[in-house]
Amino acid sequence: MSNAFITKLCRYAPLGDNEIAALEKLSRNPRRWASGRDLIREGQRPEIVFMLLEGWAYRYKILKDGSRHILAYLVPGDVCDIHIFMLDEMDHSIGLLSDALVVEIPPKDLMAAMEKYPAIQRALWWATLVDEATLREWLVNIGQRDSFERIAHLFCEMWLRMQAIGLVNEDESFDLPLTQVEIGDTMGLTAVHVNRTLQRLRREELITLDNARLTILDPKRLAAVSGFRPNYLHRGTEPLEKRLRERLGAPV
Amino acid sequence: MAQYFLHIHNAHGDAEDDEGLQASSLAVARETAIKGIRDLLSAEAVNGGINFAGRIDIADAGGAVLISVPFKEAVSVTGL
Repeated sequence: MSNAFITKLCRYAPLGDNEIAALEKLSRNPRRWASGRDLIREGQRPEIVFMLLEGWAYRYKILKDGSRHILAYLVPGDVCDIHIFMLDEMDHSIGLLSDALVVEIPPKDLMAAMEKYPAIQRALWWATLVDEATLREWLVNIGQRDSFERIAHLFCEMWLRMQAIGLVNEDESFDLPLTQVEIGDTMGLTAVHVNRTLQRLRREELITLDNARLTILDPKRLAAVSGFRPNYLHRGTEPLEKRLRERLGAPV
Repeated sequence: MAQYFLHIHNAHGDAEDDEGLQASSLAVARETAIKGIRDLLSAEAVNGGINFAGRIDIADAGGAVLISVPFKEAVSVTGL
């Protein structure tokens, strides 16, 4: 039985039957959570590692005036920080943007799998590096791009991330469980500005967005207008093991 | 809480609000519209030109426009 977690990590390292069995074991006993709930809040002690099998989550911080800034989206297969339990307290919150299927992995189980299977360890490190690269790209996005480029860039990214876990249809459509307020809180824009920008993206026949389902009508042009380069997603098109072997000249 | 819809009309065309906003009063919805207009105008200012000819119509769930907020009401301009 495969799942988004395994699908994702298989892109980062060629995992064998034993590794996949270990990942399946880690994915056991998922729990259904309702949209809008928080998995963990700022200030709480992180004692488990959350992993998303279905649905979307987001990292956020609440400001002094009650406003919210969204720092990341988590989609199926994403892990909320493999070493988070080392810290005393959460410096941000993680909430759910949709109903979700969530696995709560005890840190000792995750560590044991990583120690026993170096390929799992490398795949998880790869995933962590991609998370950091994505955060850097989001900084560039909100710091340097205008609203049109910003949202176009976000849609390109989510399209590729959803594609990587097999959740994009042939017509290039996928679930985007985000309200205009949530997109605004992510992009540093008001919902009014988001609405205006979505309207322009539609008018220029780049996307359609109906009932939380986004269709990318012209991926090439959407990437071009936003200056989107997928390099930061490090999609692992070339198997990691093969590359390591080539570089190190040693069996791994 | 009631649902309000903030429809934008300006030189760039019309952007109907199909999601709506939950707000405790029409005054709160108006404040959201004002902040939105400021956001739109500030993005225009970055590109060197501001067009005040626009408005946000605030409608109720039935589609009736309750109030209209002209762009020029969102900011005060001095020193011209």
